[in-house]
Amino acid sequence: MVAYIARCAAQLLVALVGIVTVAFFLMRAIPGDPALYMLGDFATAEALATLRARLGLDLPVWQQYFVFLARAAQGDLGVSVVTGEPALAEIWAAVPPSAALAVAGMTVAVVAGVPLGIIAAVRQGSAVDVGVMLIALGGISFPVFWVGLVAILTFSHALGIFPALGATSEPGLLKGLHHLALPALVLGLSVAAYIARLTRSAMLEVLGQDHIRVARAMGVPERRIVWKLALRNALIPVLAVIGVTFAWSLGNAILVEAVFSRPGLGSTILKAILARDYQLVQAGVLVLAAAVVVLNTGLDLLYGAIDPRLRQR
Amino acid sequence: MSALLEVEGLRKRFGGGRALFGAARPEVRAVDGISFTLARGETLGLVGETGSGKSTLGRLVLRLIEPSEGRVRFEGQEVTGVSAAALRAMRPRMQMVFQDPYGSLDPRMTAGAIIAEPMTAHGMARAEAARRVAELLGRVGLSPAMAARYPHEFSGGQRQRIGIARAIALDPALVVLDEPVSALDVSVQAQILNLLAEIQARSGVAFLFIAHDLGVVRHVSDRVAVMYLGRIVEMAPRDALYGAPRHPYTVSLLSAVPRPDPAKERNRPRIRPIGEIGSAAALPSGCRFHPRCPRARIVAARGGETVEAAGARLPRPCVEQDPLLAPAGEAAHLAACHFPDEA
Repeated sequence: MVAYIARCAAQLLVALVGIVTVAFFLMRAIPGDPALYMLGDFATAEALATLRARLGLDLPVWQQYFVFLARAAQGDLGVSVVTGEPALAEIWAAVPPSAALAVAGMTVAVVAGVPLGIIAAVRQGSAVDVGVMLIALGGISFPVFWVGLVAILTFSHALGIFPALGATSEPGLLKGLHHLALPALVLGLSVAAYIARLTRSAMLEVLGQDHIRVARAMGVPERRIVWKLALRNALIPVLAVIGVTFAWSLGNAILVEAVFSRPGLGSTILKAILARDYQLVQAGVLVLAAAVVVLNTGLDLLYGAIDPRLRQR
Repeated sequence: MSALLEVEGLRKRFGGGRALFGAARPEVRAVDGISFTLARGETLGLVGETGSGKSTLGRLVLRLIEPSEGRVRFEGQEVTGVSAAALRAMRPRMQMVFQDPYGSLDPRMTAGAIIAEPMTAHGMARAEAARRVAELLGRVGLSPAMAARYPHEFSGGQRQRIGIARAIALDPALVVLDEPVSALDVSVQAQILNLLAEIQARSGVAFLFIAHDLGVVRHVSDRVAVMYLGRIVEMAPRDALYGAPRHPYTVSLLSAVPRPDPAKERNRPRIRPIGEIGSAAALPSGCRFHPRCPRARIVAARGGETVEAAGARLPRPCVEQDPLLAPAGEAAHLAACHFPDEA
């Protein structure tokens, strides 16, 4: 177990270095100059040169890279060129609202997707099945920002049930949840659709197996067969996909945050990219990547718990 | 004495009707009018090629699938047509063992939980079930300590023992064994067959033993039924069937069983059916075996009224008349052939 966790940690490190490297060079590949952005169009060449030197931007890119890596290893991801605050601290401040959105979205996705997939599988070929699969197809096909806008038009504008703004400065958990509901539903829908389709096919496969036939022959109640015996086996592939879709929904979360004017990692990183705020973007990418890798590692550990065949490795 | 299991005119059709864009789907008559009885404590071997409908028949008997026609009575009670609740009440008395010892055990449950499942499903207390599990593991030749292991930690033969322990957990009167040893090594096959015989001797359970291999069935069966394209074509007490088979299909199946003595194996006559098993979606007219029947060709060559069919001259009844399962030879020996007395 210790060896397994050590191996996971090593993998995590390699993944993070790789991701940070890609993020570093991608940012440098985007045309634009942070010094120019900070000083404005009318800055003198002299002032620009001084600022570039102070930010280390006058070094060759490969040198900048190693300086960055060396500092990152010590937990220093630099200072935001726009605000002057440490980049990591600024990113951390944006994590809680994003985490709330991601967790709420995934909760919606699992709570809606898994039961719908099961019902579709049990009623294979029926109108219920066709209906669920059509909705799921829509959920996967429509882009999340469009769904977000439609949701605002319907639930905020026409029906007035949920606020159009995805966040509030007013205190109170209920208030916050009320604002979170619509963004979470929108974010959850696309993932729910995906999970529903996957759960359905996994359930159909398990329900066709002999051990389910045996359970029926033994007179095990159908409810237990579907919701316990079959579901436990069907959840193994579904769990794998939840890990993958989490990364995917982080990308969608950026769009959802934009549509609902919600603060969070998405809007912070988006603003940083526009301002060529290299340090902030790198810190943001690092945090996002670490979240995805850590989550998937956690799910790997969970497999062992739910699938006894994977335990003795 | 009334029979434990009575099957009458059982039929199962799959498919038929039309597909989405109006193309007619062929109707498959997987089980096409089968009747037989099984006494308490008896073993009926059911033999047939792949596609003969033997597994479908096994599932129909337990009503795991709904029959299209016909009826099944078990311990004097209707199985076909009764409500789900009534059927569930009968489930403990009739159980099943499947061929694939890998697919038939839930990979997420321990062996103990798998064997306990039928008992807890029918209301036995957990502690009582756990005690029974230990006893059952011992009865099928496994150690009670193995209850905590998962299916993937067992060999194929051990897995099949777990499947058998589960099937006999509720002390059933009938167990349908659907090719219980086909997936196992020959040496393990023998162990499992002996285990089944021992269980039967102790508990008086009746077996419907489905197999594609006459050799395996011979060791365990009191009577043997041979299936071909959804019908029983011959049914007889074991020794009668192996000693003096009446149906040409049975004759050819028996000639395909290898003999352990190479000298005899090399010299014995071999009677092979012509071509492959037919399709249950397009059954031949008359006797369903006539396109492949070597005997029909011999009988036709000797004279009598013949017609042209399946690329040969065949006796008219074989092509035009569906033979019924009728007494042939001894009283308990039934065969569905127009010429059961031909050699």
